[in-house]
Amino acid sequence: MTNVADIEKQALREARRIKHRSWLTSYLMVLPAMAFLIAFVLYPTAAMLIMSLYYGNAKNPFKSWRGLQNYNMRADFWVALRNTAAYTGMALVLVMILSILFAQWMYKARKLNNVAQTLFFTPHLVAGVSAGFIWSWLMSSQPYGLFNTVLQPIYQILNVPSIRWLDSSDTAMFSIVLMNTWKSVGYYCLIIMSAMKSIPTEIYESARLDGSSSIKTFFKITIPMISPQLFFLLITITTGSFKVFDSVRIMTNGGPGDATRVLSMYIYDYAFQRNNTLGYACAAGIIMMLIMVAVTVFDFAFVEKKVHYQ
Amino acid sequence: MAEIVFEHVGKSFGDTKVIENLDLTIEDGKFTVLVGSSGCGKTTLLRMIAGIGPATYGRILMDGKDITHQPPEKRDIAMVFQNYAIYPTMSVRENIEFGLKNKKVPKPERDRRIAEYAEIVGMTPYLDRKPSDLSGGQRQRIALARAMVKKPSVFLMDEPLSNLDAKLRAAMRVELIELQRRLGTTFVYVTHDQIEAMSMADTIVLMEKGEIQQIGCPEEIYHEPANIFSAQFIGTPPMNIMELGEGIRYGVRPESIVMEAQKLDNMALYRKGHIITREMLGAELQFKVRLSDGGTIMVRSPREDLAEDTDVWIMAKARHIHFFGADGIRLGHGGPQGLLDKLGGLNE
Ligand SMILES: Nc1ncnc2c1ncn2[C@@H]1O[C@H](COP(=O)(O)OP(=O)(O)OP(=O)(O)O)[C@@H](O)[C@H]1O
Ligand SMILES: [Mg+2]
Repeated sequence: MTNVADIEKQALREARRIKHRSWLTSYLMVLPAMAFLIAFVLYPTAAMLIMSLYYGNAKNPFKSWRGLQNYNMRADFWVALRNTAAYTGMALVLVMILSILFAQWMYKARKLNNVAQTLFFTPHLVAGVSAGFIWSWLMSSQPYGLFNTVLQPIYQILNVPSIRWLDSSDTAMFSIVLMNTWKSVGYYCLIIMSAMKSIPTEIYESARLDGSSSIKTFFKITIPMISPQLFFLLITITTGSFKVFDSVRIMTNGGPGDATRVLSMYIYDYAFQRNNTLGYACAAGIIMMLIMVAVTVFDFAFVEKKVHYQ
Repeated sequence: MAEIVFEHVGKSFGDTKVIENLDLTIEDGKFTVLVGSSGCGKTTLLRMIAGIGPATYGRILMDGKDITHQPPEKRDIAMVFQNYAIYPTMSVRENIEFGLKNKKVPKPERDRRIAEYAEIVGMTPYLDRKPSDLSGGQRQRIALARAMVKKPSVFLMDEPLSNLDAKLRAAMRVELIELQRRLGTTFVYVTHDQIEAMSMADTIVLMEKGEIQQIGCPEEIYHEPANIFSAQFIGTPPMNIMELGEGIRYGVRPESIVMEAQKLDNMALYRKGHIITREMLGAELQFKVRLSDGGTIMVRSPREDLAEDTDVWIMAKARHIHFFGADGIRLGHGGPQGLLDKLGGLNE
C-alpha cells in the first residue's frame, strides 16, 4: 500500500510542478499587454483622476487643491452630454440598420457585390479629418455645395426650402452622423457579412421547407445567428460614438451655437483652450468614462442574455 | 400521399454534369431507398424533389402535377438533411415547432404532436435544451422529429441514421418502417449502407455516377442484379466475378459457393482451390481462396472444420451462377445453356 501512496504523492508533486510552470508562462505571455495597459490606460486614468481634484492648467496642473468641487458640473456640460447621447443614439441605430441591410443584400456571391463591398469599405480607409473636410464641402450651403445643387430640382418640385445641413442646429448633428455612417458602415457591414456567410445554407433551405417567409427567416434565424456580432457592434459603436471628436471639430466645431458640442470637444475645450480649467476638464473626462463603463456594464448584464453563442 | 416522377431530368453545377437524362418514378405510399456510393448524386436528387436545388432541365411531377418550378414551401415535403440543419439558436422544442407554427397549427395541437414525436425519437427529456448541448445522434433525432411532426405527403431523408449507434439505429429503422406503414406516406430514404437499404426498402433505386443502375425490390436486386455494378454493390463481400472468355464474365456470390474437401454431385461449377485466409465472423466464416488459375475469390461458409492452407473444391449450382456480357449487363439467371456448357468445359 505504501507503494501506491508514494506514487500518488509523486504524481501530485509532478502535477504541481507543471501547474507552476504553466502559471509562469501564462503570465509572461500577457506581460506585454499588461505593460501597455498600465502605461497607456491605467496610468493616464489615475493621473486624470488626481488632476481632477486640483485647480490648474496644462503647464502646471496642480496649482491648488479643489477636492470634489470640480465635479460640480456647469450647465453647458449637460448640453454636451445630451448632444453626445443624441449623436450616439442616431449613429447606433443608423449604422446597425444599414450594415445589416447592406450585408443581407451583399452576402450572396455576385460579381456586383465585390464592387459594392469595395465601394462601401473604401471610406473606412479615408482619414477622419479629410472625410470631414470633404463632407463639409459637399454639405455646404454655398453655391459649391454638391448635395444642395443636386437636390435643388427636388426642392423645387416639393416646394420646400433647401436643407441647410451643417448650418442649422436642427440638422447639423444628423449631418455629422450621416458622414460618420458613410465612413464606418462598410467596415461593420463586412463583420456582419462574414457572420452571415458562416450560416450553413441548409438551415435556410430547411426554413423554406418549414414554410418560413423571408421576413420570418430573417428575424428568427439570421438575426439570432449573427447576434454575437451584433452585440460586438453595439459595444464598439456605442463607445466609439461617445468619443466622437475629429469629424465634429472639422465640420461644425460645435456649432451652430452649441448644437453639436459633444463631450470630447467640451473636455478638449476646457483642458487646453481656457484658463486654469484643466482640473474641471479632467472631472468631466472621469464622468464621461464612468458613463461609458455604466453603459457597457448594462449591455453585458442585460443585452448579452439575448445573444446566442454557438 | 404522392407519386413523384422525374422526366428526362438533368442537373449540372457549372460545367460538372452530375445527373443526365434521368427518368424515375417514385411510387406513392412506398418506402423507396436511394442507395449508391458517395458522390453519386443522391443528395442532389433529393434536393430536386424538395425544390431547393432545382433541376437544370427536365420536368418533375408530383401526382401528375408539374412541380419543377414550384417553390419548396408550397410542396408539402419534409426533409431530414444529411448535416441535420438544426436551427442552432432555437431549443429542441422550438426546432420541432417551427414548421407547425408557420403552418398556423393551433397551439394545443402543436403541443400534442411535439410530445408524440419527441417520444418516438426518445428526445422528450431534452425538449428545452439548446442543440449545442446535444450529441450528433441526438441532433439527428431532432431533425427526424422536426420532419415527421409536419406530417408531409412526401418525406425525404438523407442518411438520417448515419450518426446513431448500432442499437439505436436498429430501433429507429423499425420505428421508421412502422411509421411509414402507419402513415402510408411516400418515403424517399438515402443511404449508402446496403444493409439498411435491403432491410427497409419496398423499392431500391441503385445509383452510380448520376445514373440509375437498377430499380427493384430487395429480392430482385439480390437475386437478379441487372449488371456487374449492381451485383457487386449488394452483398458483403461482393460477388466474385471471373472471366469466361470472349468478354463474357460469370459471377457467384460468396455465400452461394459450396466449399468442401470432397467433390459433390450435381454442380455446374467445379474448381480446385487453396484456402489462403480464414476469418471467423460468428455464425459463418469468411475464406479467401486461391484458384488454380491464380485468381482469388471470397467464400462464406459455415464449415468451421476447413483450415487455412488446405486444398478444397469450389463448387456452385447452376442457379447461383450469373453471366454478364461484355457491357456488364447480366445475360440471365443460370445462364443460357450454351454458356453453362462453356463453363462446364472449364471445370476441373
Ligand atoms: N453545390 C455544388 N457545386 C458543385 N458540385 C456539387 C455541388 N453539390 C454537389 N456537387 C457534386 O455533385 C456530385 C453529387 O453530389 P451529392 O451530394 O448528390 O452526392 P451524394 O450521393 O449525396 O454523396 P454522399 O453519399 O457523399 O452524400 C458530387 O460529385 C459533388 O461533387
Ligand atoms: Mg449526400
